[in-house]
Amino acid sequence: MNSIQGLPLSNVDLTGSRSSAAQPADSKDGFGAMLRDAVSQIDQAQGTAQTKINEVIQGNGSDLHTAMIAVEKADLSFQMMLQVRNKIVAAYQEISRMNF
Amino acid sequence: MDMFSLLDMSGRALTAQRQRAEVVTANMANAETTRTPEGGPYVRKHVVFQTDNPAMFGAALHSAIERNVRGVHVAAVVPDTTPAVKRFDPGHPDADAQGYVSFPAINPVEEMVDLMSAVRSYQLNASAVQATKTMIQQSLEILK
Repeated sequence: MNSIQGLPLSNVDLTGSRSSAAQPADSKDGFGAMLRDAVSQIDQAQGTAQTKINEVIQGNGSDLHTAMIAVEKADLSFQMMLQVRNKIVAAYQEISRMNF
Repeated sequence: MDMFSLLDMSGRALTAQRQRAEVVTANMANAETTRTPEGGPYVRKHVVFQTDNPAMFGAALHSAIERNVRGVHVAAVVPDTTPAVKRFDPGHPDADAQGYVSFPAINPVEEMVDLMSAVRSYQLNASAVQATKTMIQQSLEILK
């Protein structure tokens, strides 16, 4: 697990100069790919947290606080992802409500 | 240095204090021990704290801040050099020819103070974890 910085937010093109939404076939730059990348990173953080907790329960020499910190990291990453997702969905809905 | 490495640093400090508490507890448990596998009475142990070496965590790409702000780890557990305390007790199975028994030079009061200090330091670093968590949550609030 890296950090919040690792979230692929640089993929968000706020200027709209690149009409990626108009090309759903281009999955590398798309909205869905961005969310998928973010979710997979959160998943990795949660996997790390789970491994640490298992180590504590099995008594493999892992510290309790190390496990707790790993869980906290996963939780904070998840909250971060959730906030960004809420923001993006709000922006999407705003656009879909637009009158042409 | 990002927010999560702050959590890692506090985590390593917590580990160091836990190890210190472990050593102090072992000292208290063995305050009256006259037999060890190495022979002679138990010898009191000290922990030595050392700042983390940045190279330990693959810091080749790290900023100047990261090279100067370092965490802590237990470098070594070293034995105390104070000689054993001799007590006259001829009936004791570990008494020498003169009737003296060697007891470890451990003062339970000193060990208790050490343990309290370790617990307080642990508390301190746990509070630092909470503070970091609050900071990260505050920055998430910006987006709301």
